[in-house]
Amino acid sequence: MIRKDVVEQLSVAELVQFGPLGQAKVFAGEELDRQVAGVVLVAELEEIRQCEPHSAVVLHGTAAQGAWALESALRLAWERNASCVIAPADIAVGNPTAQLAERLRVPLFVVADPARHALELSAAVADTDAARARLTARCAVLFGERGTLRDIVGVINTEVPGVQVALIAEDGHVLAGRAAADQASGERRVEVHVPGPDGRPWARLVGQLAAWSPSWSLTVRTVLGLARAPLAACVGRAWLRPVQQSASDRVLLNQLLGENGDAEAARAAGWSVDGTHIAVFLQVREAADLEAAAPRVIAAWQEAFPHLPLIPRGEGWVSWWTGAEGPSALASLLRPYLSATRPLQLAAGVGLAGEGVPGLRRSVDEARLAAAVAGRRDGETVELFGALGPRAVLACIPVSDVAAAARVALADLLAAPDADVLLAALVALLDCAGSTGQAAARLGVHRNTVLSRIERIRARGVDLDSPEQRLALHLACYSLLSAH
Amino acid sequence: MITEITVDDLPALEAGSQLTCSSAGSTHFDGALANIAELLRERGPVRMVGLDELDGDALCVAIGAIGGFGPMLELPPSGDEAVAAVRALEARLGRRVDAIVSLNASGPNAFAPVAAASALGLPLVDCDGMGRVLPLVSQTTYALAGLPIGPLAAVSLAGDVMVLDTSTARSELLLRSAMQAAGGFMLCATYPSTVDELAKCAIRGSTSRVVEAGRLLLGAPDRATLLAGLASVAGARVLGGGRVVELGHATRTVGARQYPAAPTSVVVAEPGPAGRMIRLEGQSEIFLAVVDGVVSAAVPDVLCLLDQREPHIVGLERVAVGNDVDVLVMPADPMWHSGAGLALAGPRAFGFPVEHPREEGAR
Repeated sequence: MIRKDVVEQLSVAELVQFGPLGQAKVFAGEELDRQVAGVVLVAELEEIRQCEPHSAVVLHGTAAQGAWALESALRLAWERNASCVIAPADIAVGNPTAQLAERLRVPLFVVADPARHALELSAAVADTDAARARLTARCAVLFGERGTLRDIVGVINTEVPGVQVALIAEDGHVLAGRAAADQASGERRVEVHVPGPDGRPWARLVGQLAAWSPSWSLTVRTVLGLARAPLAACVGRAWLRPVQQSASDRVLLNQLLGENGDAEAARAAGWSVDGTHIAVFLQVREAADLEAAAPRVIAAWQEAFPHLPLIPRGEGWVSWWTGAEGPSALASLLRPYLSATRPLQLAAGVGLAGEGVPGLRRSVDEARLAAAVAGRRDGETVELFGALGPRAVLACIPVSDVAAAARVALADLLAAPDADVLLAALVALLDCAGSTGQAAARLGVHRNTVLSRIERIRARGVDLDSPEQRLALHLACYSLLSAH
Repeated sequence: MITEITVDDLPALEAGSQLTCSSAGSTHFDGALANIAELLRERGPVRMVGLDELDGDALCVAIGAIGGFGPMLELPPSGDEAVAAVRALEARLGRRVDAIVSLNASGPNAFAPVAAASALGLPLVDCDGMGRVLPLVSQTTYALAGLPIGPLAAVSLAGDVMVLDTSTARSELLLRSAMQAAGGFMLCATYPSTVDELAKCAIRGSTSRVVEAGRLLLGAPDRATLLAGLASVAGARVLGGGRVVELGHATRTVGARQYPAAPTSVVVAEPGPAGRMIRLEGQSEIFLAVVDGVVSAAVPDVLCLLDQREPHIVGLERVAVGNDVDVLVMPADPMWHSGAGLALAGPRAFGFPVEHPREEGAR
């Protein structure tokens, strides 16, 4: 017989997992990571004194006569550094015995037929490779039967003994499994990269081994590797289906909202066309890659609002509620969704209620304008068109272009050492329709201060009194402040 | 050395007799004791002598009862059953008996020889053949030294008199059958031997020890004094103490089916997180103490439970979960620790396949 290297041994937990001890009742089950070098069938207590360390001690005959014999066996097993003790079920294991097992940290298993278990255990211990191959095969079968990320990672956490696994996104966010796994380091850490459906790195599957041996580490790596394809397929399913769907929805929506609005096709697609609609427009802040963002935005939307289509339109996505309470109620529905799409930052706009297809068309336009305003703010925001009023028009201004022009047109003013102060005073005065009193109150300064700033502004060549200049001046100032 | 047993010694004799019972029972035999007290009042104190005070060829018989406690309570012995037994044995032997020795000076068998000596007007020799309670009449240092148990005479409470003359092993079987048939109790006169024969195998000072221990149990002002006293009188030490947390009857023993009792298990948990778990295994008596899985004490050493609050022995028949007890160990006579002694009355004799702690120490 070839002597197996010490590091190639099965752990007690693996024996539980691979069958021989699977049905056994266990006490002191916290200590299952010890390795098992061999199995000893003990008929007399004294025989335990001759056991090799790391043995699984199986009691029968006079060594299993009752609680006192079992307790003596636990003690002797502890003295011999045995890995576990296996006792027949006709010994009633009471609290004191269980406590002793826990105190000695010797796992105790209770089985119906110790002699048969001794044989099975010996077979398992003798053929570590076979046992591990069975584990790998079992995991592969279970992966195929599971359909969600959490379930697939759960298979590893429950089936593979002494291993904690977590699925961690590239940004460090734990997608499934046990976060503690990521704390592993050195040889006890096993890590495989999981590609997304597009083939790009998407997440890492990280495992922490309670006990290490080269072949065990390899087994765990194999199991993690096996999980990669099902995980990618799983996330791919979640991403791809809605993306395909949204491409055809885009065409349908164009038909519906076009000049000769074709409501029939939309109705046939199950969209709600009749009634009072309130439209919602979503857009991604900071001109991100729309193509890349789409799967995440749509998948999260379908999770939050499974009955509403989210349809790409222009620089964002459109959806609408029919017969909803009102725009502000929708805003509170939308906010949790906007946080769920992090790290993508989404801005949402909500239109006014509108009747039928024409009403929907108007509501969609309103929502888009409101979303554009929301996009100028920080964080995930929802803007209601109804609350914006004509301000919505401002959303259409190409702020950066206007600001660039303003920097040329107002070069003198902006060259002033206190340009910021003067610009703020100018905006306040324009906003307040030339009332120096209101402007002073808004800026929180004395009216005389405003008057002196106006003088300085005039000195820089800005004509505040010309009606032809005023709109241009107001727009220039607005753009400069917005582009800041 | 106590030289006589008076009526006033009976309470101490009874209390002390429970100590060496290995918690076989803490029953009070008021009826039997009242009868013996009556005898002692009528006939005066019983003279107690050492073996050395008698002639070497003086004939002694060992007096002791076999049977259960129940029949003794239902129909208390009158105290003079021994007269019939000794007379029957004398007739069989053709010789007068000169003195009474104890079969085992513990439990009710501590006072049966006192009653016999009183009723027969003979001296009581301060010795016995067990130093404790053991279940079989053949488990004696007398038998260990090769003294035959017979011829023996036994008397039932109904007045049946039986004389038996056969080997020690068969005597045990026949006597027990007769005892069952006679109602569960028989007073026996066994091991007829000369003083010279007994000198090499009797456990000396047994009855004195029982009385002294009894005085401590009745009179010690506190637990510390009691434990110190029992240590000096009987070599008792406290193995541990705590609360009884489990009682059970699940233990199985190997081979030992000849014993008239069922296995019993008591678990005493010491207080505190580091407290040890003391598991006591026995039948009528406690045979084994397993502390955290280590066999720490075993028969023939005496193991018994002492109530921590009131100075009395807690018998296995009334111990309950929640009792606070000390576990006492008293070493058996050195004769019992010999190989032959342990074979006759060590843990293996009772079906516990473990070595006696003294054997392990010798290894």
